[in-house]
Amino acid sequence: MARVVLAGLFGLLPALALAQGNGAGNGAGNSPAGGTRESLTIGITQYPSTFHPNIESMAAKSYILGFARRPMTAYDADWKLTCLACERLPSLENGDAVPETTPEGKAGLRLTYRLREGERWADGTPVSAEDLRFAWEAGRAFETGFGPAEFYRSAYELIVVDPRTVTLRLDKVTYDFASLGDFQPLPARIERPRWEADRRAYRSRTAYDTETTNPALWNGPYRISAVQPGSGVTLERNPHWAGPAPAFARIGIRAVENTAALEAQLLAGQVDMIAGELGLPLEQATALQKRSGERFRFAFTPGLTYEHIDLRLDNPILADRRLRQALLLAADRAQIVARLYDGQQAVAASGIHPRDAMFDPDIPQYPFDPARAAALLEQAGWRMAPDGIRRDASGQKLSLEFMSTAGNRAREQVQQILAGMWKAVGIEARIRNEPPRVFFSETLSKRRFGGLALFAWISSPESVPRSTFHSDEIPREARNFSGQNYTGYSNPEVDRLLEAIPLELDPAKRRPLWSALQRQIAEDLPVLPLWHRSDAHIWPRWLEGVRPTGHLNYSSLWVAEWRAR
Amino acid sequence: MAGALRLAALRLPQIALTLLLLSLAAWFAIGLMPGDPVSLALVSDPRLTAEDAARLRALHGLDQPLLTRYLAWGAGVLRGEFGYSRLFAQPVGAVLWPALRATLALVGAAVALAALLGVALGGLAARRPRAAPLVQAAALLGQAVPSFWLGILLVILFAVTLGWLPAGGLPEPGQSALPFLVLPVATIAFGHMAAYARHAATALRAELARPHITAARARGNGEGRILWRHALPNAAVPLLTLLALDAGALVSGALVTETLFARPGMGKLLYDAVMGNDYNLALLALLLVALVTMLATLAADLAQAWIDPRIGEGR
Amino acid sequence: MTRLRLGLLLLGLLALAALAAPWLGAALGRDAFTPDLFARYAPPGGDFPLGADELGRDLLLRLAYGARVSLGVGLAAALAASLLGTGIGLLAAWRGGWVDAVLMRLADGLLALPALPILVLLAAMDPAKLGLPRGEALTDILRIVAILVLFGWVGVARLARAAALSLLAQDYIRAARALGVSEARLLWRHVLPGLRAPVAVACALSVAGAILAESVLSFLGLGIQPPAPSWGNMLANAQEAVFAAPLAAVWPGLAILAAVAGCALVADGVARERDR
Repeated sequence: MARVVLAGLFGLLPALALAQGNGAGNGAGNSPAGGTRESLTIGITQYPSTFHPNIESMAAKSYILGFARRPMTAYDADWKLTCLACERLPSLENGDAVPETTPEGKAGLRLTYRLREGERWADGTPVSAEDLRFAWEAGRAFETGFGPAEFYRSAYELIVVDPRTVTLRLDKVTYDFASLGDFQPLPARIERPRWEADRRAYRSRTAYDTETTNPALWNGPYRISAVQPGSGVTLERNPHWAGPAPAFARIGIRAVENTAALEAQLLAGQVDMIAGELGLPLEQATALQKRSGERFRFAFTPGLTYEHIDLRLDNPILADRRLRQALLLAADRAQIVARLYDGQQAVAASGIHPRDAMFDPDIPQYPFDPARAAALLEQAGWRMAPDGIRRDASGQKLSLEFMSTAGNRAREQVQQILAGMWKAVGIEARIRNEPPRVFFSETLSKRRFGGLALFAWISSPESVPRSTFHSDEIPREARNFSGQNYTGYSNPEVDRLLEAIPLELDPAKRRPLWSALQRQIAEDLPVLPLWHRSDAHIWPRWLEGVRPTGHLNYSSLWVAEWRAR
Repeated sequence: MAGALRLAALRLPQIALTLLLLSLAAWFAIGLMPGDPVSLALVSDPRLTAEDAARLRALHGLDQPLLTRYLAWGAGVLRGEFGYSRLFAQPVGAVLWPALRATLALVGAAVALAALLGVALGGLAARRPRAAPLVQAAALLGQAVPSFWLGILLVILFAVTLGWLPAGGLPEPGQSALPFLVLPVATIAFGHMAAYARHAATALRAELARPHITAARARGNGEGRILWRHALPNAAVPLLTLLALDAGALVSGALVTETLFARPGMGKLLYDAVMGNDYNLALLALLLVALVTMLATLAADLAQAWIDPRIGEGR
Repeated sequence: MTRLRLGLLLLGLLALAALAAPWLGAALGRDAFTPDLFARYAPPGGDFPLGADELGRDLLLRLAYGARVSLGVGLAAALAASLLGTGIGLLAAWRGGWVDAVLMRLADGLLALPALPILVLLAAMDPAKLGLPRGEALTDILRIVAILVLFGWVGVARLARAAALSLLAQDYIRAARALGVSEARLLWRHVLPGLRAPVAVACALSVAGAILAESVLSFLGLGIQPPAPSWGNMLANAQEAVFAAPLAAVWPGLAILAAVAGCALVADGVARERDR
């Protein structure tokens, strides 16, 4: 009996031994070898819960809509703001942006946008100023339930100049005024009647979710032609697309949440590529690169996802700046990046990405230096005890709670490595993780974490970190717990800079403000910077022209440039 | 027969009451779970202000007390309005039915396969004592392998290394659905098979020792015929009970297998709905699972009461 | 008999490994928690008898420490669920009537109750409020045991109820009642002993079920939190890298297999003893 069981157990081993070699499977590959490739299948790790461009923000939705929708403006792969559906960006120089005073006497702006010639919905109807007017009206109406309403509150008037031109009046002046962000045309012909019939119910009656395959909803190079709920969507060329014809007749998008399963589908040839925006964890991707040899092309693009540790500044231990600096000095981040991520992402100096135009390389840095960390701890009165954990004069242990999202293996690994490194200098980090929904919506936003909290911020190019560092943005009951200054950081100088930067329209004058801000935060260290996450893009050898952006305007917006070899 | 009717008459109101209490319990369990969708949105989108938070809470009705919302939901359900799924922005039915169909195909095939193979193996063990250890070892293995581990092993072997079968997902329009079912069905069936094999072997062995079998043997019936025609029908009761227990899984789906093979179904839907505070969807799905489970249990009890009248409700 | 012995032997060996974990660590000269970035996925042999995991920790040592958690969770959950289940099953069978109906419908309802939100609820509770230490593996273990018991007693209760019903219908019980034996004594001396065998079988099987359930919870990210190892979280952590380092997934998988097989053998053995 025992023999039989054991034989059964070890029968499973050969399967693994085989898999250890190169996954040679070419299995159910659906791409014809040679000749023209008509279709491309993309694997991502999430399925969107809605297809409406303005309801809920979600990475999978942004990625898919990148193929099928055409926003007015977007940041490109060089992190420059560009026009997609408009003819030119308004600026003070070209006269499309005119400073004025609002009826209430505030400094305001008058912006004019002209839709590009030939922009059409996939049913042939031209995209018009009326579509923009509808989007603006719906966004301004309280009960429609769009996400952030800041833009719509600020844009107090929209004037239709001609069928292709609108003028917006804003009640504030910020340097990024030309960016329209999520504000983009919605097909008024389809959506307005549904919205007017019942504004409250619009979010569940919108054609984007009830008739997702209606061509009149899509104005990108592709349109959504089929939906398999929870599993994937199929895109086909938009026959009325005015730009250069995209290369593939069909693009299939498959959602596979489990990354080991996604890797298996790639190796089995069921998906041609894995989109870096929603792809494999970096560690898994670098391991795959080493094993798969020449089969795929890999690109590791630095992105604006900033992994960091928030420190609870009202914890008496962490209130001491020397201790915060010691924590960072004792963490060998370069080693972690080299060993865990194969050197494919860079250690961060602050929340501002090195590729960002406003990045200042001369701010204080904290390279690995355990001796200096120990010296700082001694200075702060923490003496080594026989059990290897420091105590202060009153005998209190130097012990901190270290929280993150449970079930995120990459973060759990980093936590354990950091805890080991800190232990070496006499700091105890007790790991206590919670499911993401609890961690984010209770522990972080109601500021119930005791010491350290590891998570990521995602931003866009040159975005001012007001919500994370301004003292007004410390979440509290009275503000419905909005704001993201979870550390409780409060520095009048930083507040002043955060208020001044957006109002300064001249980049040359803005730069010194940005430098001062970065320097002040790097000295105070309310947040321990770890690294800017890299996206792992995995493409078939025959695919060319994909340009990863590294920010929230995903590479799919430029699908018309993708080519098969 | 009258006993069975009495049992059903007694049980059905109890089931209805249980469903009512269950819906209340589930509603509060979801509602009391820390973190509502608006707080979650606040964390993920720095542009949301205090006003936006209040506005979205009011819009989703989250500013109302839990009980008020439950009563409103209950009134809607009694009118036959199941409402919209918050998570998928669709009517609940439109989300539920496709998932239910997918799960019925997957788990139904797996349970059927498990029952057939299990009974066949059990029969083999009962008839050929020499084969019994082998069958037991297979059953043991089926019981002892964590399903997600087995799933990964199967994918590595059959999809990645050999390239015979797809690694997961759903077929493209026009493709045959069968190859996509093989691995997930095998993963679930392997785990379920053990119990059927074990029970079938025990019951058949006991049955084969009874006098009517000896009589059948004496009449010159073949061993195979005796096993399948004479012993199995009598040994079927414990197997039916087992099948009733699996009925719940037919509706509640198989979360782990669905995740691993990227096949949308009830398991994943329920998990997402509960985790996403999608009350309308979660409640309806849960009640459906509960109803099917309890009806199946009732059916099994009826079968038992019919066969052995002593074991019924009460003394 | 051989089955029972084999199962007990298998479980005994695993328990021994769990108990011997600290000595094993001393013999290997390392601990199970400190990462070593230079030894990630080290192959078996040499310094690492079974290789190293994704953070360069010794797999054998972590398996031994993991045995403490996994077997602990399994045994605690199974024993508590069996006690509760037997009590409730017996009560339902003995009282009958509305008590029986309420308890059994409660059992039905529990089978369909959403386990996940309750898990999240428990995961979010501040253990310090209950007087438990924060950030300790023990708290995680208690949380998981509580969940497994909450949903695990149902099976035992149904089994115990059915067995008790058939016992209570026996003639000698009626005779004893007629002789004026007290109900408590009746249950304690005549019914409960008859439940021992089926409950023992169910208990052994639920140890196996609990060990598997812990691994599934880890797969969903709701299991034992790092740095404490359990077979379940070792397996779940290894599955992401299953293509790069399959051995890290094989060992905990085999450990779970061995433990579950041991429990099933014990259950079989006990069942045979009873039938004999």
